[in-house]
Parts: sequence; structure tokens; C-alpha cells
Amino acid sequence: MEPTVRTAPIVAEGLVRAFGDVRAVDGIDLEVADGEVFGFLGPNGAGKSTTVRMLTTLLRPTGGRAIVAGHDVVREAAAVRFSIGVALQDASIDPLMTGRELLHLQATLYGIGRRAGRERSDELLERVGLTEAADRLVGGYSGGMRRRLDLALALMHEPSVLFLDEPTTGLDPMSRVNLWDEVRRLNSEHGTTVFLTTQYLEEADELAHRVAIIDHGRIVREGAPSTLKAQVGLPTLLVDVDPGTEDAARSALSTVGEFRPTRAGRVAVGLFEGASGAAEAVRVLDAAGITIHHMELNTPTLDDVFAEATGRRLEGSGEADPT
Amino acid sequence: MTVAVGRRGVPPWPLIRQVLHRSATSLRRIPAAIVPVVVMPIFFTVAFSGTFSGLTELPGYPTDNILNWMVPYACLQSASFAALASAFALGRDLEGGFYDRLLLAPAPRWTVPAASIVWAMIRALLPLSITLALGVLGGITFPGGPAAVWWLAVGSFAVAALGSLWGLGVMYRLQRQSAGGLVQIGLFVVMFLSVGTVPLDLQEGWLPYVARWNPVTYVLDMARAGFIGPVGWSEVWPGLLAITVGGLLLVWWAERGWRRLVP
Repeated sequence: MEPTVRTAPIVAEGLVRAFGDVRAVDGIDLEVADGEVFGFLGPNGAGKSTTVRMLTTLLRPTGGRAIVAGHDVVREAAAVRFSIGVALQDASIDPLMTGRELLHLQATLYGIGRRAGRERSDELLERVGLTEAADRLVGGYSGGMRRRLDLALALMHEPSVLFLDEPTTGLDPMSRVNLWDEVRRLNSEHGTTVFLTTQYLEEADELAHRVAIIDHGRIVREGAPSTLKAQVGLPTLLVDVDPGTEDAARSALSTVGEFRPTRAGRVAVGLFEGASGAAEAVRVLDAAGITIHHMELNTPTLDDVFAEATGRRLEGSGEADPT
Repeated sequence: MTVAVGRRGVPPWPLIRQVLHRSATSLRRIPAAIVPVVVMPIFFTVAFSGTFSGLTELPGYPTDNILNWMVPYACLQSASFAALASAFALGRDLEGGFYDRLLLAPAPRWTVPAASIVWAMIRALLPLSITLALGVLGGITFPGGPAAVWWLAVGSFAVAALGSLWGLGVMYRLQRQSAGGLVQIGLFVVMFLSVGTVPLDLQEGWLPYVARWNPVTYVLDMARAGFIGPVGWSEVWPGLLAITVGGLLLVWWAERGWRRLVP
């Protein structure tokens, strides 16, 4: 079942997944190039994991189609599974087995012979730094160790396409950075195409060559992080003011920038004059008698891209003030 | 190194073997899980034989040795427990996400539920051996000769397999470990509303009507046949028919649940 037509490793056309009346994924189109790290970014419940489950053959699309590694995810599901490695959101590993046993099991699941499976297990354990913990029960592993083992399991059969579904959720900063390094190495040294879902903007920014932002099951922005951020344009000035004085602050700042969504108690403006407009902003707020508790100037981030696209912030405390 | 992964497909047997190996390893790591498998058949045999020993005095009771009546029942009860344990393990894998790992394997997907059924049948072997050994120690007789043991084994494995299919159907629909309670209720109801303790002719009220429609009654009759007298085709065909029809219905039930879980 070799692919007959050379296509991008991941292609989705009008992909839909409905659960009753709810369309969790609502007609997405995307194409991931060979050797690319593709970040799939969105808040909880946006449709990221549902998309991954369809692309990895765990869930049947209710509309559209997807081709992964040259094979249709519905009609050639087994061939797709041959070509991909998957590390799902909740590291799906059995706490009653040791790391080594799990790797041996994974080797068998992919039809790798016993001897080759053992050698490959040793190699992967060393690569993810788990050689010493290999014969301990996984139930005693830390979150970071479980994630690294999950990654090793996904790499057992040397897949050409790797799906990582929120690989660093719940990890401490050090474990997160270690995992990022491993993903970078995989991509640069082995040319593995990586489809990475995340709700961490920093992660997408660090790792992805291109990102797609998904919200309510639809892709709202797609492109290289630098391009998307440049499109947002103006640097954002964030000013924390007394509760109840936000409207007065906005009125005062209307001459220096355009408003961006943010949380209550804060005013955000994209400065017309760039960073140099910050001084004028302070002056007009002072003139209007607004007390400033905190002020910071941010160059555009993926969060700004998300906010510009959806009217909400991805980071911070839930729904943003849309004004 | 480069790993040689067959592109033409992974044969089903290694996956089944690995799933069985993993189940056995889990059982070894939680020794407490083996206790019900050992204790329940002993409990059933001793409790039922003691409580219902007077029944053999009733005119029309098929045997004068209560163990000949109760040991097959205890074996089939224990086989249903093996199916229940398999369902709970499945629930744990579904809830914990491990089942996704199995479903992501490029081997044929039917091997994943097949492994659950095979594991329940293997697990049923232990209580079957224990209960039979206990019966021999207590003085059970074999008027049907070696065929008695054969048909008892067939009945036990059938209950384990059919019970597993029931459990698969429930678990695939509800996808959580707590759904094991529903599997348990189903298994208990069909086991108790059969001819487990009292023959059909001696049951009163609505019980015989239910027992007559209960396929377990016929499987139990088949499993008991060699402990009551010589075994002929007329003693076993209703049981085999019940297994076949029940099997088909439960395969349909499990398959419908499976379709909800995977493409």
C-alpha cells in the first residue's frame, strides 16, 4: 500500500466531525509540508484533539477527507497507522508495566522482531534519558518521564510523521524545555514531520515553522508565526488602572492607539506610533487623572494574533473584555 | 539503526500474544486480583453444596450427590467472573487511554477485542481446575466418563466468551470502568435465573418461565450432563444451539458498540 501519488504528509480538505448537533471540527483545510513542524494552536475545546484523532484514524470524520503519509485516513487506515507515530494528550501508558516492557510491547504492535525490538528499545531509552528507570514500574514515573517514554513509544517504528497532542501539558518548565529540544532534534536530524497541538503560545512560537489557530472548530489564522505576528502589526501597551476607570482610560488613549481585547481592570492599545507612542500615552492618562498601577509594552505575540482573530485572549483568565 | 517494519501488515497473533502477556503481567503485579478467581469458586462450591444439600432428597432431583449438581454451576459462575474481570480491565484501558495505543497499532483491529475474549477464557481455566479438584476431593462422580469434563470445559469457556462479548458491548458504549457494575448485574441475573441451584421441574412461580428462556439454562444442562449420566447428542445440542445463537447476538451487540468507539 505504498502511496501512489506524492502528496504533502498531511492534507485535510473540509474535514468535519460532528457529535450530534455539535460540530467539534467544522470544515478545516490544512496542508503540512514534508519535514515541517506544524503547530495547531487553540484553547481547550477548540477541536485540536478531535482533529488529531481523525488524522490518526482513531475517529471517523463525518465530512471532508484527510490524507496522511499519502493514505486516506478512512479507506487506508492501517497504512496510515504504519507511517505515523502518536503521543496522545494523556500519556496512554500502563502504570503496571515497566518502561522497557512497554517499549517491547510497542515493538510487537508494529511487527518488529524480538531482537530488533530489544535493540531499538535500548536505543530509545538512552535517547530520552530513561535507561536507568527502564525497569521501574511506569506508575512511579514523574510527569516528565512519562511524556518522554510516550515520545519514545511513538518513535519505536521510526515514523515519518509524528503527532504530538499537547505533549507538555502539566510539565514543569525544565521538562518542557527538554521535550522541545528532543522534538527539534527529531525534526532537524531525522526530517520527521511533526504535527503538534498545544495551548501554549510559547511552545508554538518556539517549535513551529507554521501554525494554524483553531477556534470553535474552524481555522481562523494560518501561517508562519513571524508572519502572523507582523500582520497584527502595532506593539501593544497594557495599562492596569483602577476598576471602573477603564472607560475613562480608553477615552484618553483613543488618540494614541487602537483598542485590543483584554481582561477587566486593564486597557490594551495598539500604539499608532509604535513604541515611541508610550510616552504620549502616559501623558494623556496623567492629564485625564487616571491612576496607573502597572504598565508594560509588548511586541505582538501569537496571543495577539489569536485575540485579533477571535476577540478573545488565549492566555490569562478566560474571556476577555471585548471592548 | 533502522527498524524493519513490515509494510504489508502486522500479523494478528503477535498483538494478541502481547495483550495476553500484558494481562498476565498485570495479574502478577496485583496478586490481590487473583484472590476472587481462587476464592469465589471455592465459596460457591462449599456454600451452595452446603445450603442446598437437602434438595437431593426431593423426588425428581436428577442426582443424589449435590456436588455433581453444584460444581458445574460454580465453574460457570466463576467463568462469568473471568468475563467480568476482563470487562473491568477493558474499562480501565479505555479510561486511561491505553486502549488508544492498541487501536493505533497497524495490526487488524479485530485482534484487540479478540484478545480480551481469549484472556477471559484463559482466566476461566483456573477456577475450572480449582473447582473440579475440590469436587474430586469432596467425592464428585463422573457417570458420563471423561466427556463430563470435556463438556464442563466447553460450557465454562463459552460462558467466559459470551460474558466477555456482553462486557465488550457495555464497555464500548459507556467507556468507563464504573460501567463494570452494569456488566456484573447482567451476568448475575442470567446466572441466577437459570437452573443453577434448582432443576426446572422443581422451580415454582415465574422462575421456570424465565429459566426456560434463559440460554444459560441450556449451557448449564450441557456442562452438567456428564455429571448426571451418560452424555449423548440429545443432552448437549440445546446447549450448543444456545451458545451459537447467544454468540451471534452478543457478537452483534459488541460489534455495534465497537463501531461507536472506532471508525
